[in-house]
Amino acid sequence: MNEPALTQKLTSPDEADRYRAVQTLANQGAVSELILALRDESWRVRRDAVNGLARHPDPPGIIVTLLKMLREQHQDIGALNSVIAVMAASNVDVIVPLVELLAGDEADLRIYAALILGHQQDLRATPALLNALDDPDANVRFHAIEALGRLRAAGAVEQLGQLLASGDFFLIFPALEALSRIGEARVASQVVPLLADPLLRAAAVTTLGAVGQTEVVEPLAALLDEPQAPVNEIAAALTAVYDRYDSQFGEGTHIADRTAQAISETGLTRLLDALPNAPAASLPDLARVVGWLEGATTARALAQILSQPAARREVVEALVRHGHHVTDLLITHLQDPDAETRQTVVLALGRIGDPTAVPALIKLLAFDSDLLVPTAGALAQIGDRRAFEPLLELLGHPHAVVRQAVISAINSLGHPEMPARAAHLLQDENPRVRESAARIAGYFGYDECVDLLFAACRDADAAVRQAAVENIVYLEDERVVPTLTAVLGEDEASVRQAAVRALVFVEPRAAWPLLLAALEDDATWVRYFAARVLGQIGFVEAWQPLARLAQADPAFQVRVAAMEGLGALGGVTAVTVLAPFIEAEEPDLARAAVTALGQVAHPAALPPLLSALRHDRPELRLHAISALEQRGGQGTAGALQWTAATDEDESVVQAALTALAELGTAAAVAALVAFTANPARRELCVAALAGLGETQIDWVARGLAHEKTAVRRAVVDALARMKHPYATEQLKQALQDEDTAVRLAAESALAVLGGSSELTIDN
Amino acid sequence: MHFFSETLNLPDSAFKLLRDLIHQRTGIFFEPGKKELLADKLSPLVIERGFASFMDLYYLLKYDNNEADWRQMIDALSVQETYFWREFDQVQALVDEVVPQWASMHPRQTLRIWSAACASGEEPLSIALALNEARWLERLPIEIIASDASQKALTKARQGVYGGRSFRSLPPKLKEKYFTAVPGSNGRQWRIDEKIHGRIRWQLANLVDEADVAELAAPVIFCRNVFIYFSPESVQNTVQRFFARMPTPGYLFIGASESLFRLTTDFALREIGGAFVYVKS
Repeated sequence: MNEPALTQKLTSPDEADRYRAVQTLANQGAVSELILALRDESWRVRRDAVNGLARHPDPPGIIVTLLKMLREQHQDIGALNSVIAVMAASNVDVIVPLVELLAGDEADLRIYAALILGHQQDLRATPALLNALDDPDANVRFHAIEALGRLRAAGAVEQLGQLLASGDFFLIFPALEALSRIGEARVASQVVPLLADPLLRAAAVTTLGAVGQTEVVEPLAALLDEPQAPVNEIAAALTAVYDRYDSQFGEGTHIADRTAQAISETGLTRLLDALPNAPAASLPDLARVVGWLEGATTARALAQILSQPAARREVVEALVRHGHHVTDLLITHLQDPDAETRQTVVLALGRIGDPTAVPALIKLLAFDSDLLVPTAGALAQIGDRRAFEPLLELLGHPHAVVRQAVISAINSLGHPEMPARAAHLLQDENPRVRESAARIAGYFGYDECVDLLFAACRDADAAVRQAAVENIVYLEDERVVPTLTAVLGEDEASVRQAAVRALVFVEPRAAWPLLLAALEDDATWVRYFAARVLGQIGFVEAWQPLARLAQADPAFQVRVAAMEGLGALGGVTAVTVLAPFIEAEEPDLARAAVTALGQVAHPAALPPLLSALRHDRPELRLHAISALEQRGGQGTAGALQWTAATDEDESVVQAALTALAELGTAAAVAALVAFTANPARRELCVAALAGLGETQIDWVARGLAHEKTAVRRAVVDALARMKHPYATEQLKQALQDEDTAVRLAAESALAVLGGSSELTIDN
Repeated sequence: MHFFSETLNLPDSAFKLLRDLIHQRTGIFFEPGKKELLADKLSPLVIERGFASFMDLYYLLKYDNNEADWRQMIDALSVQETYFWREFDQVQALVDEVVPQWASMHPRQTLRIWSAACASGEEPLSIALALNEARWLERLPIEIIASDASQKALTKARQGVYGGRSFRSLPPKLKEKYFTAVPGSNGRQWRIDEKIHGRIRWQLANLVDEADVAELAAPVIFCRNVFIYFSPESVQNTVQRFFARMPTPGYLFIGASESLFRLTTDFALREIGGAFVYVKS
């Protein structure tokens, strides 16, 4: 249907007609028609018009038209919401006209301008929004506060903090929310007094959780003494403080310790009373906070909620910290009707490692078939030899996962009778037992079992032969290569596959002819593993057969394995084979080519990787980033920086930033420092910078001279999180910064770093 | 809690490849935070197959494309935790409102009710029990089809034997009336009355497979607690397939924690007998 006909449909009384028309117009990018549809009475029609316009964000005049609509039709809520949605989603620069609107005469328009500016993620709007905090209209002030929060405008903290003392509830709530989003710790002291106000209490608790550090622990703990304390919110706030402190300074346990000291008997009772009826969303935080407190009462309370999936991980962590004190308590829960709960208890008992749990766990091996794997794992962790015989009983279990868990457990026991028992079991009538015994005997290389292992290579059962073949290679015995040769010539595919995989442990010269022959095997998986092993042992002569396989094998997985092998061999010849596959239609081939090129150090590998960074498919660009990160070398940092700055896909941008951090060169660090100016990238970059090593501290500290305040402020955070004496020394430069926010952040960070040093000494 | 993932590493790149392959084939989508869960579910398959990495499993599923391997995969992924009388208000609405309305409109026409993700069978059996209690099974030709993508789940459903957790919501008098204790199980296992069990036609079906859905089209579909594991795209496609094949009027029952609100769908949400139902009218 052509556009005029579709435009006609937009006026149809039938909503379904209009809906279909707008979908087609959206696909065609018919901007003026879509703008018309923004006024439609149907939300579905308006939604698809918005999506259509957002997909074509930069047609000439669209913003003028939208602003005109905003001025003229802001009484029409549907049209207004649609205009706001398009503006928020578009990439067009709307800051200047919106700032003008924010200073206009009409209050409604000022409200909408503030609203949209908040969604633009552009800090240029901050001064205008700060001015709007003095707007005569309370609704404008409300939306300006919200917008500053959305922008995470650190420069607004002082004025927002002052609003908290204004007594105006209408503005205090959004101010608290905005401060939570901005996340500046220095505002906590202004929030704490609000805990005394029953109306504002819960919101203040949440904000303290979002911004606070050590100093908020005591006020939050004290609040638990109040009869109407918002217990769930307090627990959430304390865990948020813990997580942030742990991420910034690696000292989360300091928050847990302070909490444990600060919570009174009354507070503890309130927490324990809240546990049984807490909503699933609050349970993990509550369980964590209760877990920070020692004692039999807390352990019993935690054990009571083991059946709650929402908090299982937290409860286990807490109970494991209680150690052997809770073993008996946990054993009583091994009879729980819920299999997941029993599984959790087994896991916890294994981690606690208390031998008194062994009899109960052994009993479980006999009666709880659902829990064999975790129980064997727990017995392995405890390492008590009473489990030896019961575990041996399970070597013939029909499921390979159970056998593997049991073998691991037996191996970890190191029982002195095992060599003799293994020799005996290698001759058991049950093939699964012989298979398991072959794996144990091979793992340890028992002298008593060597001949039996070679005999097992000719066992009637293929799985036994497979296990034996995989394990004889650990023996220093002249029969290994002839046996593998015989297997590769005669046995069935699954055993040949095992033999090929085992060749990685054989002397390369002896393995080479066998692998070369295996590349011609009829079975796909034999060729696949042969190609992989050739790559692993790095046999240079293999490049030609691998190239042939990469280009022409009928099975895709073999081609992929051959490419991996070529990447491992490296050199310009590998590049010539691999590079064309970047454009392969089959995504796995393209991905394998990019990954393999990342292994090639030769400069010839760089251009194809750079071209992969511009590939249409985001997933291939992601692989190119990983490959470049692995490869490093000249040109890599620049390419990653370009990708981080220009790519439209958020996951690609994040991967590029992470790769820059991994690269860690001066250029990469400088790029990361510069990217902290973007509020949306700030946290990722700061975390990445904080993870750098001693040799890179100078490069990070150069950011303290950056022209942008936001960058200098971020560098302060990064240096503080490094927790390195030299980084702390560099941090002191920021005490002389021209901007108050940077100086205050430096002071605050240095105070925390000083405090944690003292703690270390105390400990 | 995670066991296998501690020994078998699932790198992010392999997770994404496997996740997308599984999504394409089954509609089930694993969010990034579910990597360990996926690793735990798939580790037994890697080990059983004698592989050393998840990528080997990925290539096996993708390129060997063997039906038996995929069946094992679906068994490993399927969630079989369900119980009788779960979210019973919807079954009640079926019995009290939808079936009487059908009976008045089509007294001689067979009413097909499809339980599209029946797991171990508690849902279709609850429907059959409720219909039997209201004597609809003797008054109206009713066909109950129960399908699931997991062969393992269907095998259990076909056996008709259930343990204590399945009865957590079933009124005790109904348990007494329709179930008998399995000899030698010490009262831990109960077998459903064969007259009820025999009313169900059990069938293997994948909801993302157009042909499977077409074959089982019905005016009443129960598809509950499945969409929470699907991507929005898979939900959209599945719902569209249901709608396209469903006669008018048609009724789609989805789980209480699920919603089609964010999707473009031609179903209309209605409250029928105190339960929310998506209706094709």
